[in-house]
Amino acid sequence: MASVVIVARQFDDAAQQRTASDLGMWVFLATEILFFGVLFVAYTATRLHDPQAFAIASRLTNVTLGSINTAVLLTSSLMMALAVRATKLGLRRVALGFLCATAVLGIVFLAIKFTEYYLDYAGHLVPVLDFAHSGPHAGGVENFFYLYFFMTGLHSVHMIAGIVVVTVLAVMTARRRFTPDYFTPVELGGLYWHLVDIVWIFLYPLLYLVSRT
Amino acid sequence: MIAHPVARARTYVLVWLGLICLLVVTLASAYVPLGSLNSAINLAIAVAKALLVAFFFMHLRSAHYMLRIAATAGFFWLAILIGLSLTDFAVRY
Repeated sequence: MASVVIVARQFDDAAQQRTASDLGMWVFLATEILFFGVLFVAYTATRLHDPQAFAIASRLTNVTLGSINTAVLLTSSLMMALAVRATKLGLRRVALGFLCATAVLGIVFLAIKFTEYYLDYAGHLVPVLDFAHSGPHAGGVENFFYLYFFMTGLHSVHMIAGIVVVTVLAVMTARRRFTPDYFTPVELGGLYWHLVDIVWIFLYPLLYLVSRT
Repeated sequence: MIAHPVARARTYVLVWLGLICLLVVTLASAYVPLGSLNSAINLAIAVAKALLVAFFFMHLRSAHYMLRIAATAGFFWLAILIGLSLTDFAVRY
């Protein structure tokens, strides 16, 4: 199959065009880092205000499901990295398999996360809807759960976007849209998926492991 | 056809093994009473995991210097955001 890469006229060659796409993606990811960053600042300020409340609240989270989910997400990132590699090597079927595995693991992550939300609801831990916790640090515990739902919720929204992107990439791969010379969408989709993974890498210890002793 | 350099599949699997090991270490360390050191260990491990993902899965290890600068800029501004905010909150209580 002849693979012709269309190079826009402002670029010298395909390599420069690809670097420009990657650069644009990294600039977007930088805005995403700051987008989540303000929530991490809010978390830090709230935790410094009442550290004991965060220790109590963290013990109320489901560390088993949280840890399993971290492993699921790390594994999905491996699948994504292997999908990008296979695409670059022109291994279409292999790439398709890895993309599907990535999407499935993303869905598994969300299924576990929403199960956890249900258990949190059953445990009266959802602020506004149904929050019941007493003790001297009840206010701080509620603040923790505001942040817990906002941060994991925003992360889940990014996961849904990521799953849609990976699914589209899988369909494009099945339709032979990528070649060893043209794989920019897969590369950029991969970068997005890995960044969402990195956000969770920080959410996990900050929400689940504050105080387990 | 241009040949694009790709890492070996084995490299990716080894990085993943490293990530899973770090996850187990961070989880286990949380159950050892070390006081404020617990949070420090957890954060250090999170940074290590993020660097593994960025360098290997996101190809920063072999990326064009412009991409490395853009990636660093994101975390640099985040450090400013957190650092300057802490000049207030860290000394308030």
